[in-house]
Amino acid sequence: MRAVIPDQAGVVDSDGVDIAYEVYDNEAPTLLMIPPSPITHSRIFKGQIPFLSRHYRVVTIDGRGNGGSGRPADLASHTRQKNVADIVAVMDETATDVAVLIAHCHANWWAVEMAGQHPEKVSAFVAIEPGLPYIGSRQPHWAQAGATWDQVLANPTGWELFNRHVIINEHRSWVEFFFGAQLVEAHSTKQWEDAVAWATESTGEILANSEEAQEEDPPTRDEFIGLLERLGLPVLVIHGELDVCQHVDKGRELAELTGGEFVAIEGGGHLTLARDPVKVNREIKQFVDRISEVPMKTTTWTRGLQRRRKALYLSSPIGLGHARRDLAIARELKALEPDLDIEWLAQSPVTEVLEHAGERIHPASDWLASESGHFASEANGHDLHCFQALRNMDEILLANFMIFQEVVEEGNHDLVIGDEAWDIDHFWHENPELKRGSHVWMTDFVGFLPMPSGGDREAYLTADYNAEMIEHIARFPRVRDRAIFVGNGDDIYPEVFGPDLPKIRDWTEEHFDFSGYITGFTPPSADEAAAWRAEVGFGKDEKVCVVTVGGSGVGRDLLEKVIAAYPLAKEAVPELRMIAVAGPRIDPDSLPTHPGLEVHGYVDRLYRHLSVCDLAVVQGGLTTTMELTAANRPFIYFPLRNHFEQNFHVRHRLDQYGAGRHMAYAETSPDTLATVIADEIGREVNYRPVEVDGAARAARMIAELI
Amino acid sequence: MPATAGSIDCDGVSISYEVHGEGEPTLVLLPTWMIIHSRFWKLQVPYLARHFRVVTYDPPGNGASSRPLDPAAHGVFAHLRYTERVLDEIGVESAVLVGLSQGGQFGLSFAAEKAPRVSGLVLIGPSTPVLLTGPSERGRYIRDNFDNPAPSRPPSAVRSGGRDDRGDWTKYNRNYWVEDLEDFAWFFFGHCFPEPHSTKQIEDCVGWTMETTADLLAAEADAPAGDIDQYRDWAARVQCPVLLIHGNDDYIIPPVFSEELARLTDAELAIIEGAGHIPLARDPVKVNLLIKDFVDSRVSPAMAGA
Repeated sequence: MRAVIPDQAGVVDSDGVDIAYEVYDNEAPTLLMIPPSPITHSRIFKGQIPFLSRHYRVVTIDGRGNGGSGRPADLASHTRQKNVADIVAVMDETATDVAVLIAHCHANWWAVEMAGQHPEKVSAFVAIEPGLPYIGSRQPHWAQAGATWDQVLANPTGWELFNRHVIINEHRSWVEFFFGAQLVEAHSTKQWEDAVAWATESTGEILANSEEAQEEDPPTRDEFIGLLERLGLPVLVIHGELDVCQHVDKGRELAELTGGEFVAIEGGGHLTLARDPVKVNREIKQFVDRISEVPMKTTTWTRGLQRRRKALYLSSPIGLGHARRDLAIARELKALEPDLDIEWLAQSPVTEVLEHAGERIHPASDWLASESGHFASEANGHDLHCFQALRNMDEILLANFMIFQEVVEEGNHDLVIGDEAWDIDHFWHENPELKRGSHVWMTDFVGFLPMPSGGDREAYLTADYNAEMIEHIARFPRVRDRAIFVGNGDDIYPEVFGPDLPKIRDWTEEHFDFSGYITGFTPPSADEAAAWRAEVGFGKDEKVCVVTVGGSGVGRDLLEKVIAAYPLAKEAVPELRMIAVAGPRIDPDSLPTHPGLEVHGYVDRLYRHLSVCDLAVVQGGLTTTMELTAANRPFIYFPLRNHFEQNFHVRHRLDQYGAGRHMAYAETSPDTLATVIADEIGREVNYRPVEVDGAARAARMIAELI
Repeated sequence: MPATAGSIDCDGVSISYEVHGEGEPTLVLLPTWMIIHSRFWKLQVPYLARHFRVVTYDPPGNGASSRPLDPAAHGVFAHLRYTERVLDEIGVESAVLVGLSQGGQFGLSFAAEKAPRVSGLVLIGPSTPVLLTGPSERGRYIRDNFDNPAPSRPPSAVRSGGRDDRGDWTKYNRNYWVEDLEDFAWFFFGHCFPEPHSTKQIEDCVGWTMETTADLLAAEADAPAGDIDQYRDWAARVQCPVLLIHGNDDYIIPPVFSEELARLTDAELAIIEGAGHIPLARDPVKVNLLIKDFVDSRVSPAMAGA
């Protein structure tokens, strides 16, 4: 799912070709983002758009030959002049009189010609890894490959793939090689997959012709240098030092000739905008602010000793489970530190829980892009590939991190508590100079694990993500002031992080403190259970089966399967009463009905029902299954297919407690399920006890930092 | 150490100045009430001089400047001349003026009267009377007591870490200055620094006070002053970017004066919560960064565009 959607999107006819554009409304100035099509399109700026469009009006364009634009294939359709005309057409169509041009790679040539031909339309220029003729050095592999560009080569490899015939006939081989060569930074798997996917929305023929057309009718050296020297615009150049497409000298010389500013990204390659998006975003914003009229305003800075102590709490909105445990920790923390102000940067469904509890929610929370909405969009029936869903959430995590960073820079928080706040932990390790306050990282699982269905590629990817995390913590131990594992050592899945990587348990025990499990509530005693049963309206002679699928829309398939099992189960167990809880995102009226079956949307304090039921049927999420474990209730759980956390980490933990009956959704028919319900309902169970002091332990660990 | 130092003769008054650093633009850190001298900028000069040319000068009556007893050698109108002469002497056409308290009067008046010579204005706790709020508690004490016989008050508790009573404002009295200027200084700077743990800052100011005399302070008190209409007129005529910095705990000049001045000059206003009258000594890092950011973001781009 995208982090932001444009306020306007459309196409404009530019000399017979549809040119796609998007507009994100805001105050001036307008930033016009020009991708180096046709090898990519406007999505290359996905890391910039959510952040920049919160501050400025942003217009993006898909160059001809890719994205939402037309696909003319002939050489004459891809000249620089055509591309410049497309930019002008989009500016006219979107009523953009003047813009800051932001271009990547060879689109910079179009931007320079645009500024030369239409100076009144351009107020400033941001060049990212600029590809421009005559200036700087040329990478030698381009010259070598150019020499055999037209030849039919036998078994071309490496840069020889930059060849008209290879690009036309084996388009994907070329773009896979090309972006693999460009992404010199370790752990760039997602950026590579994105770049290859966008490139292959176009064709080899279009790409090959555009490569030739770009060089058509070139200016002379003197003309071009003169154009740069007379540009007369504020210029910012950002360039990765290790760029193997456009040599970094090009960026440096562009800055010198235009009197512009130059930002070198050491260790960065050709795609700094994708690989170091936080740095690139902040450089662009600072540049645009420097050249813009910013109104005079009043600011307040509070002397250090005058400040109230303040924490910012982030609670992962993926699943409903984090909210209550984080509330429990926050309450214990306030008991220990009564003068600590806690505010929450949170989103639905966590905000609902927090509002109900009277907690203070930071107003910037409204800007956050929806992580739970993204996860729901990635689910397919009872299938949620949560590792890939997390990877595909990269632009949402970045967008939300940029919001978070502004909040802590203005708020001067003493403490940041992130319960699986992946964005904070990841981007603070990537940009350690941005860290503010003490940082507590909390999680209930460590280690991405491959699902067998993902094959070798997924095994490689999970190991790569784990390796990056291990390297982050080894290099910057100061970023996590405290890491808390919500659980105990035995709960850790007995595997390694990947080939040549440590055992997860060894590493976690070395780098984490353990709070024990945190249910957020105390299970009822036997006497209390009877009272709770009466309170929630469960009859003495009824056998109550509660079916719940959590807060997301993912659970419809499981609900339907359990409901299908209901008539058979009712035959086997006449005292059966089934209560299905659809949650906020599934309409209860859209589910099948049976006599004696109750379907509810939201149930207040559902843990009370779960604590006194005779059986529960649930997904494999940690929170609900551990609530049932703590309350010592029989339950059947169905991990979501391809969800590594539910299939490995949670299942392993439940096994430690001897809790729950695991079933696989795909292999379970309603008949089988009915039989198992009849077997399990009302069964006496005796799980290993779950600690009740986890929240207090976690709070004590956090309180040491303030 | 300054790159250059010297003195200028201004109609018989010798004004001592220093120049530090050589960056652009030039910042003139103006004097303030001559009860202290240019050393009060000691926490700004080394930092700012690494980025800009920084000029300081001592007021007549303190520091290395001469000691005129003629009231006409003091006050805002005399400083209009001194500021201009200093700029001429160092050969600077226009500069950013930075003033504290009474230095705010000097800066504002100069920016209005000599607009082409001022590229930016930073005023910290400026004592520019742009509001008709009626006499403040402090102002009433001064008005009603300044020329009276010296009051009989206990010595200032500030020296031993205490706080003085508001009633001690009767010590703002020309005869008390003759009797015990140092005690007055402890009292006065105790009120300037409401921030806890300000011992060194208060000691510094008392030390600089002891470099002048009661007679010189009295001459300054008798200098011609501008009235509210004059200051509002000056404020309306300021054309350069303006930054105002004000502690919200400033008892000497309440921040409401800067709020009004910000409206009149379309200024940026930075409130420092918990700060008193002299935040440049007590929150020097914040003040230094505010000045630097202001020059970089407001003054330098305007000069580059001009």
